[in-house]
Amino acid sequence: MATPAATPHEFVIRTEDLWKVYAMGAEQVSALRGVNLNIRRNEYVAIMGPSGSGKSTLMNLIGCLDTPTRGQYWLNGQSVGELSDDELAYIRNKEIGFVFQTFNLLPRATAQHNVELPLIYAGVPSAERTERALEALRKVDLVDRRQHKPNELSGGQRQRVAIARALVNHPSLILADEPTGNLDSTTSKEIMGVFDRLWEQGNVIVLVTHEHDIAEYAHRVIHIRDGQIAEDRVTARAAVRT
Amino acid sequence: MHIREAIRIAFESLWAHKLRSFLTLLGIIISICTLVAVVSLVNGVNFYVATKIGRLGLNTFSLSRFSLHEYTDRQAYMAAVKRNPILHMADYEYLKTHAKLPVETAATIFSGFNATGTVKANGQSMDQVSLRGVTPSDISMSTFEVAQGRFLDHFDEEHRTMVAFIGPDLVTHLFPDVNPLGRHLIAGGHRFRIIGVATRQGNVFGNSLDQFILIPISTFRKLNGNQDSIGISFKVANSSLITPAIDEVRLLMRARHHLNYYAKDDFGIIGSSAVMDLWHRLTGSIAAVMVGVSAVFLVVGGIVIMNIMLAAVTERTREVGIRKALGARRRDMLWQFLIESAVLSSMGGLIGIGVAWLFTTVAGHLTPIPFQLPLSAVIVALVISTAVGLFFGIYPAAKAAKLEPIVALRAET
Repeated sequence: MATPAATPHEFVIRTEDLWKVYAMGAEQVSALRGVNLNIRRNEYVAIMGPSGSGKSTLMNLIGCLDTPTRGQYWLNGQSVGELSDDELAYIRNKEIGFVFQTFNLLPRATAQHNVELPLIYAGVPSAERTERALEALRKVDLVDRRQHKPNELSGGQRQRVAIARALVNHPSLILADEPTGNLDSTTSKEIMGVFDRLWEQGNVIVLVTHEHDIAEYAHRVIHIRDGQIAEDRVTARAAVRT
Repeated sequence: MHIREAIRIAFESLWAHKLRSFLTLLGIIISICTLVAVVSLVNGVNFYVATKIGRLGLNTFSLSRFSLHEYTDRQAYMAAVKRNPILHMADYEYLKTHAKLPVETAATIFSGFNATGTVKANGQSMDQVSLRGVTPSDISMSTFEVAQGRFLDHFDEEHRTMVAFIGPDLVTHLFPDVNPLGRHLIAGGHRFRIIGVATRQGNVFGNSLDQFILIPISTFRKLNGNQDSIGISFKVANSSLITPAIDEVRLLMRARHHLNYYAKDDFGIIGSSAVMDLWHRLTGSIAAVMVGVSAVFLVVGGIVIMNIMLAAVTERTREVGIRKALGARRRDMLWQFLIESAVLSSMGGLIGIGVAWLFTTVAGHLTPIPFQLPLSAVIVALVISTAVGLFFGIYPAAKAAKLEPIVALRAET
């Protein structure tokens, strides 16, 4: 096992020869074939690729929702390849903020309660939960809708609630899986604006998408094809920003 | 653990599926209701038997011509009628002098003229009044006290006065507006002057305990003759003396009746514990059957809860996925569904207790059956119903806990 060349803390994400092999009946299907990926602090990265390319698998591994078959993964310098279910749950809670294509809000809970969920599992006391949930909702301009349930909100508002939920526990990484996939183009722009602001405030954002114009919001685009990184380039915006 | 969050979720989903929850809970409701109602019935009956029918208090026992067995078995009774001698006042005097352990001895005559007959007074008449002859010491064996006037005394006993101590029902019926003391009533063709009234005791199985006339036993025997057997009651200072005192009385009576070593008793001694034993055997078997029936309901109810919880886990696979993605551990999901199941079934328990309470209260008012709902039964019923929910919730909750987050997140609905 090789140790990473750079000091681990320099990278939020560092993977080394990451493999994921699924057993499909008698056949073995390799969804990822040796991915080496480094993402530094305050990067804004888009992962692109056609369906079946392995980008969802990579996202699941980065998000600690799944474990690799082979290879190493350090999140914030901590090796997470061989952790138990509950340890992974702890990492997801503390280090990762998820934003999903289908929002994945609890339908019967209010916006505020949805945002509080990660804090509940972090064991944060009630009063502090409320305070932090409101602070997160303020960042996405939804404080006045805090008592609304998801079905009383528009698609864009729902996604902003989901983003507030991703932010609330101050994760080291925001992982967005097709965040605009269910939204119209105007709302998509609005949501991408929110991500821009979050990046400016110092958050690391990893965006999984198959839309080119959405990927161009990021500063670095990684193309996945057949389970491997096919291209890793800097976008035009990065040059403007930095 | 996030117990409060779990309880909140439990009530939320219970409320979201009100009808479904109620139907799910029917089994638990019926079984807890049966359990609580039967316990209230048995408890109520036992309580009444202990306090009212067992008119002899805990520290008393009585001697009579026949034993409890001979009273309840027809054949034994027929044999005992031929064999057991009548108990006379002389027996009472003898035991009063020679039995050292009892602190008090009283004689009563239960049967004879006008045992339950009509009483007339003040231009009114009243049926079903029991008339007994008693010694002045009877008051210390009784559950009533003197409310008005005085009890029968030794002067009455010696002089066979025509006086009566009456139950409060007679005052209500015969002397509704006047002070009964010093007035007269006619029972069995004889005229008695009222000297005192007892405190109220209430009903047992719809029969009033306050519908009686007590006269001196000497007066009773003068009017009625000496052919009827008397009963003799004994009181001891504390319950530990009951058994030795019973032995003493038994020994004295056997000697007095010249029974040889192998002969059976030709008299009966009935302690309040013997009466209670008989009752507990009777009510115990009723309770055992009903508890068995409700246990079957409970298991059925539990399986229904397991079924609905399995459905809930499937229905909310996506929710489990979301919660796990946000950091819920296996035990968080386990507890969430366990608590939901326990809350569900304890709601069933609560409703069951409520229905049982309503039923026993209404039935208690409309029928003479004395229901009594003890707090312990309520607590036990709640604990049992919660335990059923916890037990039958284990499998569905474990299923939810084991769900893989990526699989759960991908689930439809």
